[in-house]
Amino acid sequence: MQITINGKQYEIEETSTILSVCNDLGIEIPTLCYDERLVPSGSCRLCQVEIEGMKKLHTACTTNIKDNMVIHTHSPRVVKERQNLLDLLISNHPLECLNCEKSGDCKLQDYCYEYGISEGTYRWEQSKPKYDDTNPFYTFDSRKCILCGLCVRVCDELQGTTAIGFENRGFDTVVSTPFGDGLINSTCVSCGNCVSVCPVGALEPKKKIKARVWETKKVRTTCSYCGVGCQLDLIVKENQVVGVQPAMDAHNEGLLCVKGKFSYNFLSHPDRLKTPLIKKGGVFVEASWDEAYTLITDKMKSVKENHGGDGFAGLTSARCTNEDNYIFQKLFRSVLHTNNVDHCARL
Amino acid sequence: MDLIKITINNKSAEVSSELTVLQAARTMGIDIPALCYDESLEIFGACRMCIVEIEGNNKLQTSCSTLVKHGMVVTTESEKITKNRRAILQMLLDSHPNDCLTCQKAGECLLQEYAYKYGVAFRKHDGAMRPELIDTTSPYILRDNSKCILCGKCVLTCAQVNDRAVLSFAERGYDTRIIFSGDQSIEESACVSCNRCVSVCPVGALIDKRDIGKIRNWDGESKVVSCKACDYGCEFEVKSKNDKAISVVAKPPTNGRPLCLKGRLSTELKYLDNPDVPYKKLEDRFEETTWAEALEITEIVEKINKMANKEKE
Repeated sequence: MQITINGKQYEIEETSTILSVCNDLGIEIPTLCYDERLVPSGSCRLCQVEIEGMKKLHTACTTNIKDNMVIHTHSPRVVKERQNLLDLLISNHPLECLNCEKSGDCKLQDYCYEYGISEGTYRWEQSKPKYDDTNPFYTFDSRKCILCGLCVRVCDELQGTTAIGFENRGFDTVVSTPFGDGLINSTCVSCGNCVSVCPVGALEPKKKIKARVWETKKVRTTCSYCGVGCQLDLIVKENQVVGVQPAMDAHNEGLLCVKGKFSYNFLSHPDRLKTPLIKKGGVFVEASWDEAYTLITDKMKSVKENHGGDGFAGLTSARCTNEDNYIFQKLFRSVLHTNNVDHCARL
Repeated sequence: MDLIKITINNKSAEVSSELTVLQAARTMGIDIPALCYDESLEIFGACRMCIVEIEGNNKLQTSCSTLVKHGMVVTTESEKITKNRRAILQMLLDSHPNDCLTCQKAGECLLQEYAYKYGVAFRKHDGAMRPELIDTTSPYILRDNSKCILCGKCVLTCAQVNDRAVLSFAERGYDTRIIFSGDQSIEESACVSCNRCVSVCPVGALIDKRDIGKIRNWDGESKVVSCKACDYGCEFEVKSKNDKAISVVAKPPTNGRPLCLKGRLSTELKYLDNPDVPYKKLEDRFEETTWAEALEITEIVEKINKMANKEKE
């Protein structure tokens, strides 16, 4: 297929949406409600483009490429339309970038900067605020919600929990739990995937340490909670983890569970064990690794001599890697000569 | 240099007797918030953010202007200090436009940093706001009086260079504002567009105009380069996004490093993929010009071309 985008001709083999074709070609089209993992909803209207021969503007995320299409992604008409959309959004959005936790990582802020919208010009009523901080891991502030629906769709299409949905119509629309009972009384499993996709500051993780986006850096790591091995980016400020964001370009495709997303506070907890402990006179005492290994090998030798291989039983953990667990059972079977070895994930 | 013993936040150290409390704290790794303090400028004591409690003193003292004394016991964060810092920030915000959404300074603005740290927000009020006097006459500097917090850094840094001292304070009290050359616009004034004032401004009152709209402070990559235009080697930040160098801004001048427009423009030309058109200052206005003329190398460029043609022949 022959298509023309912004005056340049391209050959496209397969038909797909204008948005995904442009993404592949490196032509940036702004979107607030689009996520390649989800069914397009076309709700934010920001990805609208001009197609020659068609009267109205069309949303790039829901329109398929056709042969000989001539598309303008940044024509004056398109830019004016986007500016108006952003103006409408920001007119019903609290101007709290000064202190907003999302500032620096907010798509609404990015596009307002790009399209030169510094304040809302529609000075009518603001929608009724609704807060929900009943969940122990995250908060919801409807004033900042732009109703892109990403949270609702991730919860439904990918997480399969369907804990949240839209309530009311028109200007009164709000993201809510069934019967408005609050997140804590809903079927929400606190996976936080809605928080990870929220493009603005409406869904925010509860944080122990305050940190601005620009003070942090991302460190890619593997989640250590189970054998799935989800990839995640630790959000780090001055050598302290202040948040977690799932990796999109990995097998977990931007998803995590409650442990991976929110359970990182143990990392710098003062109670965390940093050395092996050896029980001396009924009390655990901190010891060096050398001391601990010597004790283990001494005891192993004496048990083996006195009771044989079946004097041992080993239980390992799902928090170790496959390789660690393999080596562990190998140690028990071929060194200690026993089949008494098991794993907590089998229970 | 005498060494004396002081205690800050229950931490004791021996420091030089010539230091102020704020400087001593910084050598001990304790950061005291300050909007008007700059180690390369004279002490001004205008912003009052650096107030600390000193044992034996009833009043809070500005740590930037108080010299250390032997046996001094200082507290830099307490309920009383926080209450006062919050009040100072609230008054500044009450007279400051709420436009962090698109402000070019967002991300490295000290007012924003401290407002976040101390949990102070914009609020609705019926009181006065600083008037919006935006000066767009210079292609290099955007001056927005409504964002000025009167810390005085720009005035002090401009006065450090002989024969400059273009900036000064005008009027009194709430009407106080910063003026260029006896209240002229930037293009009419004696300003040489060195951007020293821009590089020290803690808020969005003085902004590098060629940086506006190109990149946010938290976006892309940045590297610091030394200017090659003369021996001073002033530092500039080169900002890049998607592997394209798109903006150059001046880093604050250190002692003996004056910054100049020529250096800035040559750094732009050297590093940027697609630098904006340069402007030169005429008597009282700016005019678009060529790169050769802006860098005053027209004759050299002509000669280089001539020599190149000769080589071809």
